[in-house]
Amino acid sequence: MSSLSTSDLASLDDTSKKEIATFLEGENSKQKVQMSIHQFTNICFKKCVDSVNNPDLSSQEEHCLSNCVNRFLDTNIRIVNGLQNSR
Amino acid sequence: MGLSSIFGGGAPSQQKEATTSAKTTSNPIANELKNQIAQELAVANATELVNKISENCFEKCLTSPYSSRNDPCIDQCLAKYMRSWNVISKAYISRIQNASASGEI
Repeated sequence: MSSLSTSDLASLDDTSKKEIATFLEGENSKQKVQMSIHQFTNICFKKCVDSVNNPDLSSQEEHCLSNCVNRFLDTNIRIVNGLQNSR
Repeated sequence: MGLSSIFGGGAPSQQKEATTSAKTTSNPIANELKNQIAQELAVANATELVNKISENCFEKCLTSPYSSRNDPCIDQCLAKYMRSWNVISKAYISRIQNASASGEI
């Protein structure tokens, strides 16, 4: 991978700068989603997957995983609401 | 480079979008910058995935006093974790989509 020098970066015009700012904003929000998925998988895998004798997920495990994410998010929303109401 | 190519292979559609959208610029320097950013993010994601899988599969496959290894278990656990990642990703993204369609967020 070739790396960019500071003079390369200084030569960027305003259009490109704006373009990069928009790109960063998009990547940032995508990255937030990705990190949430990492977190949820970490939590829900521990709770839903007992045996690792089989590389495939059982339908039970699959249901558990998607329920787990949804209940985690329900909890998250309820906590935020609860904190807002208690202010 | 190695890590990001591993992650790129099994990455969800989002990650692929990131690398393709990085090529739509007219300015080659801006292009290069975007590519480098996308690359760094892919590495960060791969590192996170490797760490989480190591932690979870170590816990599931090995027991104290850790005198022997259990490679078949690790391999199956790895496959199972990746599948779980995909299930979670689908469930989370459809939840976000539903919430934004109904105006919740």
